[in-house]
Amino acid sequence: MAETDVHGMSDGQELPDPHLDTSRLRQAPAKYQGLRMFMRNKAAVFGAVLLIAILFITFILPIFVTGDRTERVGSIHLAPGAEGSTTFGTDYLGRDVGRIVMQGGSATLKVAGLAALVIVVVGTTIGAVAGYYGGWVDNVLMRITEFFQVLPGLLFAIVIVALYGASTKSIVLAIGLIAWPTIARLVRAEFMRQKNLEYVKAARAIGASDARIIFKTILPNTMPVVIVQSTLVMGGAILFEAGLAFLGLSNPKDLSWGFYIGANRTYFLSNWWGLTFPGLMIFFTVLSLSLIGDGLQDAANPKLRGR
Amino acid sequence: MGSRNWRSLLAAVLTLSLFAVACGGSDDTTEAADTTEAADTTDSEEVDEPAAASEPEPEFVEEAGGDFLLRPENVPTDDQRGGVVVVGYAGAIPHTNGAVSSGYAVNTVGPQVNASLLRYNDDYQPVPYLADTWTIADDGLSVTLELNAEARFHDGEDVTCTDVDFSIKTSQANHPFKPMFAPVTGVDGGDTKSCVVNLSQPHPALLIAFSPGLLPIIPEHIFNDGQEMKTHPRNSTDVIGAGPFKLVEFDGSEVVRFEANDDFFLPGLPYLDELIFDLGLDPATVTLGLETGEFDIAAGDGAHGGQVVVDALEDPNLRVSDKGFEAIGSIPWIQLNLRDEVLSDVRVRQALAYAIDKEAYNDVIAVGLNNTAQCGPIQRNSPYYNPDGKCYDFDLEKAQALMDEAGYSDGFSLTMNQSQANVPTMELIAEMWAKIGVTVEISLDADFPDWIAKTVGEGTEFDATWTTLWNWGDPVIGVNRSYNCDNRVAGVAFSNMSWYCNEEVDSLLNDAGLEFDDAKRAELYYSAADIINEEVPVIYLSNQVWYTRMQKSLQNSPESIWGFMDSWAEMWVDE
Repeated sequence: MAETDVHGMSDGQELPDPHLDTSRLRQAPAKYQGLRMFMRNKAAVFGAVLLIAILFITFILPIFVTGDRTERVGSIHLAPGAEGSTTFGTDYLGRDVGRIVMQGGSATLKVAGLAALVIVVVGTTIGAVAGYYGGWVDNVLMRITEFFQVLPGLLFAIVIVALYGASTKSIVLAIGLIAWPTIARLVRAEFMRQKNLEYVKAARAIGASDARIIFKTILPNTMPVVIVQSTLVMGGAILFEAGLAFLGLSNPKDLSWGFYIGANRTYFLSNWWGLTFPGLMIFFTVLSLSLIGDGLQDAANPKLRGR
Repeated sequence: MGSRNWRSLLAAVLTLSLFAVACGGSDDTTEAADTTEAADTTDSEEVDEPAAASEPEPEFVEEAGGDFLLRPENVPTDDQRGGVVVVGYAGAIPHTNGAVSSGYAVNTVGPQVNASLLRYNDDYQPVPYLADTWTIADDGLSVTLELNAEARFHDGEDVTCTDVDFSIKTSQANHPFKPMFAPVTGVDGGDTKSCVVNLSQPHPALLIAFSPGLLPIIPEHIFNDGQEMKTHPRNSTDVIGAGPFKLVEFDGSEVVRFEANDDFFLPGLPYLDELIFDLGLDPATVTLGLETGEFDIAAGDGAHGGQVVVDALEDPNLRVSDKGFEAIGSIPWIQLNLRDEVLSDVRVRQALAYAIDKEAYNDVIAVGLNNTAQCGPIQRNSPYYNPDGKCYDFDLEKAQALMDEAGYSDGFSLTMNQSQANVPTMELIAEMWAKIGVTVEISLDADFPDWIAKTVGEGTEFDATWTTLWNWGDPVIGVNRSYNCDNRVAGVAFSNMSWYCNEEVDSLLNDAGLEFDDAKRAELYYSAADIINEEVPVIYLSNQVWYTRMQKSLQNSPESIWGFMDSWAEMWVDE
């Protein structure tokens, strides 16, 4: 039974090749091989540079460009570069759009990062346990997963935020709760595939505990999948946070990108810059994460390249 | 057309003779001294109308416009009559019955299908509508009304005193403005058209409460079936009123469509064939629709004085009017919760008031379009407004000194709640108060019910909120409610939300509500305002001028003192 599983599911490529030329591996250590594959993907490199630039703008630049972003620096609705205006224009209160967008990113990225962490931790744990144990454990966990999968995401998040207030904690919780099932299902599939591979059998044979096999043996081998997926999850979380904030479900004090777009929406017919600049930041952040995700996918699984 | 004019003229003469009989034909001067402004108007009508009667030309009423017209100088020719007006409306409209609801939405569509006893001209003087004449008794304890002989509901039934009585009782039982008809004990007259409204005490605010947006006359024979009035099906389906238009389609979130009432009791009206409210639109859609010509007029988008108004001023096809809504007396203010420990200190409230830069508020939030000088609870257009009241002109030094005195040199923090649409206002106030060390935590309300729950719910959940309250023509209707001790009611929006109470203020406001002498009345309101200003339960930010955007072709747009909340019968389109 186990034998057929192995042959049926491994599809050849994962089995150790008895004729593998190990000398090639020695020439290029495995850890750099991934990086090399990643670097070969020009789009991914562009994504990484973009992300670094965005992180620089949101976290490093505000240290040098000081000043209270809530300060009114000029008349209202001054276009970028207009007389008395700033580089990125002024908003509906006469504040500097550039300063607000620059500083507002940290709130968005913080929420999205924390949410992605929650998603990955919860999703991976549940997926791993379900996939490894199978049977009724899998059954129960997967029904729970399905429950969260069929929930209307935005509505559920709105309810959570309405109940617990628009704090970072509740928004992270809201995004985390609705987005973990994807990762859980992915990890579960990976665990189901790997749990009967030889190396796991070997670990079991030497008496390793379930916990050790799950977390020390199989999990590291599923990490490529998880990492690739988490970049996409992070992009999704940014969009979701922006959506919630746009609807007013965020801490107004943070002036996050989504919130700022929502606040500027009323004026968009005469003030395009208040909406465009935070919008571009969201666009480029999500784009960079998506490109990086593609690159990581290539690096982790070279055979899928170009597919 | 001609026969209708004849009938109207005959009715006018008949009514006048009745009125002359009622007045006893006396020429004494004591009556003029005892009666109010409104009765004075009636007196002048008495002088006008016999002149009309002596010239029995059927065209006269129409040519002269008749005294029921607010815009007699702008009457369309026969060729110009007819046509359709489409209103771009941001928001929904729950129903058409203004006898059970206050507010802009219901009372914008309501007066098209329902008629009221009186309308008001630009000088705040009543003009005849369902009531041809109105006389206040010497003792102020009754008002005699003669209803228009031609006045009929859309189903052909006569409008009688029974309907007036029923409408007032419906309002007393359901309308949120309790003081409006509180002194009315009943209406005599039954199924006739000579009605006597009986009062338990003199009530100068009564006549303005007969306005279209405050008391629609609804048919007793339709509504008096024992059903709950607030949820009565006939409030929005198969609506029968006596107004200039008949309701032909009602979907409160999509469209409300009216057709002209060909049997309207005022001759020659309405001028339009059709009136359509396109509802549930995004404010930006309304603006774009105006620019493309899809809509004739914008409504409900809250753009009373914002950037869109400035943009519209530059559009060659659009007209922007700053007239209309004067009686509304719309005052944006910061509501403070006096149950809060810190805010219960009057010095803190005064400090907060001094720290508000009203000019900046006007420049930023209203794009410089509001009138900033609003000092006190009574709106600046009212005859009872004291222009010399304490104004809390922006003064950070005074504010800081008061903070120090109150023991808050290092400031404190408070929460301010409102909906997302009002974020700019809250952000601006937060920025202003930060200068005296007050940290504002902005809390967003999901929607209006959420705001009500947080602001007038049980307990002391809110510290401060921004809101706009309307004076509604007379202080008794729109002002008292925010300061009366007994109006500290949990769960009722726009009640005494600050939880303010001063018995002296109560008694001054109460006395003013009974006083027919305008000068004396003003004195009483001045005194009440002085105390309220000193104790700062709310911080007045400005007096809102409401701007209306419309196509230049639109004639007689709703620009009366009630703005949109009036009959649109005189509207027409100059193609």
